[in-house]
Amino acid sequence: MKSKILVIEDDPVIQAELITLLNGNGYKASAVTDFSATIQTIKSVQPHLILLDIKLPQTNGFTLCSQIRSFSNIPIIFVTSCTTDMDELNSIMLGGDAFITKPYNTAILLARIASLLKRAYPTKAQTSLAYQGTILHLDSSRIEYAGQQADLTKNELKILCYLFKHAGVICARADIVEYLWDNQVYIDDNALSVNINRIREKLASIGLTDFIKTKHRQGYTL
Amino acid sequence: MNGKAYWKRKLLLLFLHFLCMIALTLFLRASGNSFDSIALILTVWLVVLVGYLWKSYRNRKSELNKLLALAEQLEERYLIAEVMERPERADDQVYYQILKMAGKSMLEQIGAVKRERTEYKDHIEQWVHEIKTPITAMKLLCENHRSNLTKELLVEIEKTNRFTEQALYYARSEHTEKDYSVREIRLFDVVHQAIAENKYMLLQNGVNIELQETDDAVYSDEKWICFILNQLIVNSVKYRGPQPEIKFHTGRRGNDIVLYVQDNGIGIDSSDLPRIFEKGFTGKNGRSAAQDATGIGLYLCKRLCDKLDIGLCADSAGQGTTIQLSFHVNDFIHQVQD
Repeated sequence: MKSKILVIEDDPVIQAELITLLNGNGYKASAVTDFSATIQTIKSVQPHLILLDIKLPQTNGFTLCSQIRSFSNIPIIFVTSCTTDMDELNSIMLGGDAFITKPYNTAILLARIASLLKRAYPTKAQTSLAYQGTILHLDSSRIEYAGQQADLTKNELKILCYLFKHAGVICARADIVEYLWDNQVYIDDNALSVNINRIREKLASIGLTDFIKTKHRQGYTL
Repeated sequence: MNGKAYWKRKLLLLFLHFLCMIALTLFLRASGNSFDSIALILTVWLVVLVGYLWKSYRNRKSELNKLLALAEQLEERYLIAEVMERPERADDQVYYQILKMAGKSMLEQIGAVKRERTEYKDHIEQWVHEIKTPITAMKLLCENHRSNLTKELLVEIEKTNRFTEQALYYARSEHTEKDYSVREIRLFDVVHQAIAENKYMLLQNGVNIELQETDDAVYSDEKWICFILNQLIVNSVKYRGPQPEIKFHTGRRGNDIVLYVQDNGIGIDSSDLPRIFEKGFTGKNGRSAAQDATGIGLYLCKRLCDKLDIGLCADSAGQGTTIQLSFHVNDFIHQVQD
């Protein structure tokens, strides 16, 4: 089941784009449109997580946050352009779970959402990815095929993780590099080739050949 | 007090006394007094006169010296009229009054200027917050619609954001005490954050990032350090060499934890090195390598570092620049926590 995320944000463009972003990343996002009935919307939607702006028409995020806290413990992420420490302190005092300043890095925002959801709803943790009989163990950093296993380095794991998540699609090299940067692995295009070659050697050692295919001038695909 | 000028003003008085003495001598002589008695009278007169003049000179001098010393002790000297005692002499009182009036109008002026400055600063802060909404919207739009065009746009959006941040921090750097939140922060978390904020610029320029990650933690303000690192990263990219590379590592020096930000760029001329933290200083690199150098970035870094008590120094040996940020490790905090 997809996690429901409610976006409380008054700027229409940001609202729409956030929903696109979240829906594109495996969530079911909706937004509050009538700010006079925010609380009712929250109660009827029953989201798993709320993204809350501080400056809102008719009310503000702080008031709303304390109102929500009076009936629910769902994770709340403050997303705001106010960057003073007082705002941050206020948000924490009133029960906010995280504070992200605009313009946010989408990778960081998604990572926060994921970690908060994982903490609040622990059963949903996903520890392995599978594709055509090959299993990628995320927690032990191994890849398994037909009973044989190989250890992966952090970089190799992240690369495979991206390819598994986009299995069947051609992944542009630039997109892979960007994903790696978002995950704090700072390698360039050349290093990516080196890593891919190393992964192919490891895959060959457990009997998997031609698992990662190179699409000339486009990228890689599983 | 200038003694010469003082005595010059007394010349007329002395001259008058002298005339009186002559007149008295003539009168006493005409009324048949002896030279001896006249000499005695004149001597007494002179002694009293000189004694009085000398004494009043000394008094005046010490009084004014005290006032001078008082003024020198004052940090805000324009407040002297508020601090000094009300003088007793009638003419001094006039000056005192004038001084008071001048001081008052000065204070009013300062008040007005301060008010204007605060208003302007508030406006800038407000403006920065407002502008962040469209920047966020643009960023989201670009990230949701990936193409080569939006990737280039994202680099520009990053730049826009950096400039607005610079304006914000410049406005805030005056009143930092209001915006501290010092807590324990892992240095490399901030480094990751700063890299993330400049991701598109670094990727576009093919910058190689090398981290020697440690768990070193310091007590400081995360937001400010991130801003400082941003500026350093931008500089490294701006003054890059053919195969740009930025290295981050930490080390210990005495009681300090030092964060090294090292690049292999064009470096800083040794004659420019002492002045790079000055406001508006662009130096040789600013003239040749980067036409858009403003001389604000490093100045702001230095200013923020001073406020946060972080040591900031730059080192360049012909090629490449190493910036060191040294954080005091306060054992006291650990002792309290233990």
